[in-house]
Amino acid sequence: MRCFRVALYLLILLSVLASPVAAGSRPPYTTWALGPGGRLYLTQDAYVPVAEIDLPLSGPEDLFITSEGVLYVADAGNGRVVQLGKDFTITATYGEGILTSPTGIFVDEEGTIYVADAGSKTVVILNRDGSLEAQFGRPTNPLFGRDNPFLPRKIAVDARGNLYVVSEGSTNGLVMLSRKGDFMGYFGANPAVMSLQMMLQRIFLTREQLAQFIRNEAASPSNLAIDSESMVFTVTAGTARQRSIRRFTVAGRNIFPEVHGSTSFRDIHVSDGGLVTAVDAEGQIYEYALKGMLLFVFGGKDQADQRLGTLRNPTGIARHGDRLYVLDKDKNGLVVYQSTRFARLVHEGVRRYVEGFYTQAQPSFEEVLQYNGSFIMAYQAIADAYFKEGDYVRALRYYRYAEDRRGYSEAFWELRNAVLQRYLTSALLLFLSLTVARSAVRRLDRRRGLLEPVRRWWSAAQRSRLVADFLFLFRFIRHPADSFYYIKEKERGSLRFALLLYFWVVVVRVASLYLTGFVFNPYADPSRIRAEVEVIYVLALILLWNSANYLVSTISDGEGRLRDVIIGSAYALFPYALFALPLALLSNLMSLNEIFLYTFSRNLILAWTALMLFVMVREIHNYSFSETFRNVLKTLFTMAVMVLTAYILYVLFYQLFDFVTALFRELQLRS
Amino acid sequence: MRKLLRVLLVLWVLGSLPAGAVSAGAPPALRPDGIPDSYRLIAENPTFRLYLNPETLAFKVLDTRSGYIWHSNLDERAPGDRLNRTWTAFAQSGLSIDALDARANVKRASITLSEHTLEIHPVENGVQAQVAFPELGISVGMILQLEETGVRVEVPFETIREEGEYRLHLLHLYPWMGATRGDEIPGYMFIPDGCGALIRFTAQTKATNMYYGRYYGADLGIQGVLPFNPHLRRPYPISVPVIGMVHGEGQNAYILIIEKGASYAEIQAHPAGIITNFNFLYNAFIYNESYFQPTSRAGDGVTAVQPRTNRYDIVIHYRFLTGPEAHYVGMARSYQQYLLEKGILRPQHSENSPIGIRLEFLGAEWEQVLFWHRPIPMTTLEQMETVLSTLNVANPQVVYYGWQPGGASAPLPVQGKLDPALGRRSELVAMAERVKARGGTFSLYYDPLSALRGGAGDVSRYDLALAINSQYIRGYHRNHPVHYLSPSAAEKRLLSLGRDVQKWGVGLAVNVLGSVLYSDFRRSHSLNREETIAAYQRMLTQSPVPIAFYGPNDYLFAYATAYYDIPLTSNGYVYVSEDVPFLPIVLSGYLPYYGEALNFSPDVRGDLLRHAEFGAYPSFFVTYEDTARILNTRSNWIYVSSYRQLKDEIEESYAWLDALLSPVRGATITGHRTIADGVVATTYSNGRQIVVNYRDQPVEVGGLVIPARDAVLREVGP
Repeated sequence: MRCFRVALYLLILLSVLASPVAAGSRPPYTTWALGPGGRLYLTQDAYVPVAEIDLPLSGPEDLFITSEGVLYVADAGNGRVVQLGKDFTITATYGEGILTSPTGIFVDEEGTIYVADAGSKTVVILNRDGSLEAQFGRPTNPLFGRDNPFLPRKIAVDARGNLYVVSEGSTNGLVMLSRKGDFMGYFGANPAVMSLQMMLQRIFLTREQLAQFIRNEAASPSNLAIDSESMVFTVTAGTARQRSIRRFTVAGRNIFPEVHGSTSFRDIHVSDGGLVTAVDAEGQIYEYALKGMLLFVFGGKDQADQRLGTLRNPTGIARHGDRLYVLDKDKNGLVVYQSTRFARLVHEGVRRYVEGFYTQAQPSFEEVLQYNGSFIMAYQAIADAYFKEGDYVRALRYYRYAEDRRGYSEAFWELRNAVLQRYLTSALLLFLSLTVARSAVRRLDRRRGLLEPVRRWWSAAQRSRLVADFLFLFRFIRHPADSFYYIKEKERGSLRFALLLYFWVVVVRVASLYLTGFVFNPYADPSRIRAEVEVIYVLALILLWNSANYLVSTISDGEGRLRDVIIGSAYALFPYALFALPLALLSNLMSLNEIFLYTFSRNLILAWTALMLFVMVREIHNYSFSETFRNVLKTLFTMAVMVLTAYILYVLFYQLFDFVTALFRELQLRS
Repeated sequence: MRKLLRVLLVLWVLGSLPAGAVSAGAPPALRPDGIPDSYRLIAENPTFRLYLNPETLAFKVLDTRSGYIWHSNLDERAPGDRLNRTWTAFAQSGLSIDALDARANVKRASITLSEHTLEIHPVENGVQAQVAFPELGISVGMILQLEETGVRVEVPFETIREEGEYRLHLLHLYPWMGATRGDEIPGYMFIPDGCGALIRFTAQTKATNMYYGRYYGADLGIQGVLPFNPHLRRPYPISVPVIGMVHGEGQNAYILIIEKGASYAEIQAHPAGIITNFNFLYNAFIYNESYFQPTSRAGDGVTAVQPRTNRYDIVIHYRFLTGPEAHYVGMARSYQQYLLEKGILRPQHSENSPIGIRLEFLGAEWEQVLFWHRPIPMTTLEQMETVLSTLNVANPQVVYYGWQPGGASAPLPVQGKLDPALGRRSELVAMAERVKARGGTFSLYYDPLSALRGGAGDVSRYDLALAINSQYIRGYHRNHPVHYLSPSAAEKRLLSLGRDVQKWGVGLAVNVLGSVLYSDFRRSHSLNREETIAAYQRMLTQSPVPIAFYGPNDYLFAYATAYYDIPLTSNGYVYVSEDVPFLPIVLSGYLPYYGEALNFSPDVRGDLLRHAEFGAYPSFFVTYEDTARILNTRSNWIYVSSYRQLKDEIEESYAWLDALLSPVRGATITGHRTIADGVVATTYSNGRQIVVNYRDQPVEVGGLVIPARDAVLREVGP
């Protein structure tokens, strides 16, 4: 009876482990996908946790899964590599007695096991029957470097049989070895990044002081993977999160774009279907398409309540079919995740898209949008499909949703081309007729004075002060220097108009953000523009410039009064006031092919404005050239000091406020 | 020589006696009915006989229907138990206490180990006992009685005395009730985690820690803040005060229902292998806690003990089950019976048989444009009419979210005012009429407890609830960071709005009130959790409109017209063996329950199968406009909702579930079992059964073929 009960209980336990995913099981973590603006948004679960398998291991460091789905785990604590069967029992062990502390494994198609043994600092190659084929340590080749240590932690082997070893602390990248252990070179180094702080340190500190700092070296990769085309992927912890994943061509060039990533990636896996998955120290799993598009981010850290699906100390990740296997060192086990219908839909679409079958991928992605309307990848793929089919209008719309400026520009170019070809002749005809009409009106005017009332109205208008000031603006284009002189002599220009001009500049600034064409606009969506912030910036700049310039000028023999400075600066902004808005409107008709035109015009406007300000300082204060130059520098410095002072005051007052409230609370408590 | 050999032989025999038998003294003499001599019969009725050990306050219950004996404590240790002295005393004593000194250090005292005085007086059907621990200066009184369905234990607050420098921290009441060793007895512990979860008895568990579960969630008045982690989902709080154990499925089981004091009780579930070799499950009752009092903004502070002991009575009931009821279904039905006796569940008349479907509409959101805010109307009343008239569903339970001026991210008003972008009040009234005519209900979303952090609204600082460290309690709901209001302020708001909307003929769908419970430590009107529950119940008896709740705890079941967002899984702890539909079985036939919105499901079909298995009705979030328009607002957690996209899915889901569940509407669930791997059958009181096939291949059950990922309804007779 007891045996029956035990057997029944075991059966139930096994069935629970092996049962199909309980529908509606709600994972303890949330899942995020890339949405508009490059931000992450909530989405349906891509993976649900299926089981947590305990394994009789001690501190496992790496796992590998073959194309048939056979799992190998590097059991570092027990100095062996174990092979797991379908039910996760140990079916074979390798390397006992040979390995000390295996931290990285790779198994090739023949079943040969390559082990990076950090304990013995060697790379060990075992045959499929477990016998030792080769074991080698630090390469003796002088090109390896005399002082470079060899601490193999992870290993991968490409189709040609070259070994790539992650050597801890190696700043030259991966160590490439032949199957015999000959050093073949370094591969895939991370660039060392210079920061402003470092540059300043280099300038100002002595050699001895510099030596005290840690040398600025490139971070060494943490882990690696090789895809079906023998391209090497590395992940590097401790670098900028956007550049942590790299994909190297044979020449060693990184072609993986900047993506949403993590600073603490532990392992990466690339599947044959073109899915890149990485797990980081926080228990988060990131999934990308091969070209670098982020698909999903999910997972979380175990908050000590042991919810299925949370991780404590992940050290390895691998995918087989629809399942992800994550090795957790602290749990001494595997956490298994299964993809949901939603994720499978995305994967199917991505696979076709990556292979270039855009049109076949379209239906999958349209269904994906049914699930989640802000899945950017879907819009990108559908836009590409429409573009390929020649439906440029739809492609344009979808590129806009996908925030793909390049694609949008190309589709726009096609459309513009088509429009031009259709309407060019009629446009020319219209232009011609307008010219004819203009000369006809002119001739009539000469003969009959047709436009006489207009001319009378115009001269009347010119007598108004504001209009005169406005027209004065145009004089700056040809005669900037003496126009400033007129301001100084109070003959032209008024304070009222100057303030109006400043207001207009603010309006232009904000309007140009809204009106610039999508291709050139830094904001993909008008709702993301923070208008108040822009306004405050412009106003602050104007205020700071005027006050700083006046203050500096008064103590360095400048002749200009405050009124002159204000009005002069206002008029000096005329290039921006006159031309920025038309340029923004014009940008709506340009594609990326004309980007030079756009950026050149924009820079021209800014340079012209700067020049005008310079001329203004010279004329208003009556300086020589070198005096003007010094004055402008001093003005800029004064502006910076003003900002700094404001910041310091803010910090001080905040501290005071904090102190007072803490005191108050303390008193309240004690009473 | 022979003599020597004989002596040696005797010595060897003596020496090889098992050591364990000697440790706890001579084995107690057993009477013919299996009860040791140290126990006295103190009460009896036709079903049970109650025996008490006056030395330790341990009791035993003999179930005369099966002859099974339930032990509240351990009598003697056996080798391999892994119990040290403290644990042995804990297992043998009827009750143990933990005490806190001024520095918040914990000291434990059990009856059999610590110096104590114990006075017992007989009362009707039982005894009244007073235990005092002079070393700690703490004394606790207890009343143990036999009742028709089992045993009742009461600890009135006035019997608790704290004299001396120690304060009572935890009261462990009968911790070893029904405890089993390893996997000696096949069975499981039941915890009300999510929809219900079972922890089967095993020799060694996967858990590294015991399970602690505070009923109704942690006390935010002590904790101070509901933590927010964007990467993790908040676990379902425990919403019913029931735990239980099964000793042999179909043989014997018991449930423990907390009638009073649940808000200060904490489930402690220890599977075998955590510290000891026993599976034991009980409730620890909290009287005083230590907390962290910050004294500066930087975060430094001191650990202090709460100044006043929590004032509440404990009343718990053990209900013993035998035979076919000794199963989680039987346990759920026993609890349902208890709720019916108390008048908490009442039969709901459903004249029309189609099932309900919850349609939650997002009204308006506002976004910032340039310098001002602009409304984004997502579903105006007119658009809602379009949706409802073209959507082919019966019995819509319409909830209007974001109806208030300012949209969904604005504070909820105290008067009934509609956001002008959505329509006029008269349209709303007409809309409500039309929905009622269709057989449904129209409710406005309301949250009387939350006050938006940083938002204005008509909430004064005086209305906010204070945590014990004198800071405002913080939380977050539906992606809004909030503060919480004191119960009296919440009452004013709810009743004021209720009276206004009563004239419109609409009801309210109330969130947060049912699932979040905190004590308010504001000096002028402090309330502990039990008093807060009473305050909520008083408030709701005065409510002028019908109210449906999101995830209500048991104390609000009596006031709810519907249960929204019922959990259909547990929280997925690794040591839990399986999820069981305890909560649905308790509510079936009485309170209609609706699952979480299916918009966010990665596998709608799979979730619908779960709805069919549990008898839950479907829910959807709907907006007329495209969801992309609210992506830059706080409501972007609703990431898919547009009517255009969801129309077909809503209709198909409704039609499929209606065909299965409307024939069993109003019937209670009487059976639930797994027929085969991935095939589950749920039986109802009107003789119908729903068989669900989760597999990817069709399956044959009793001559009936169920297609892949589908369910069928069949008659099996009562």
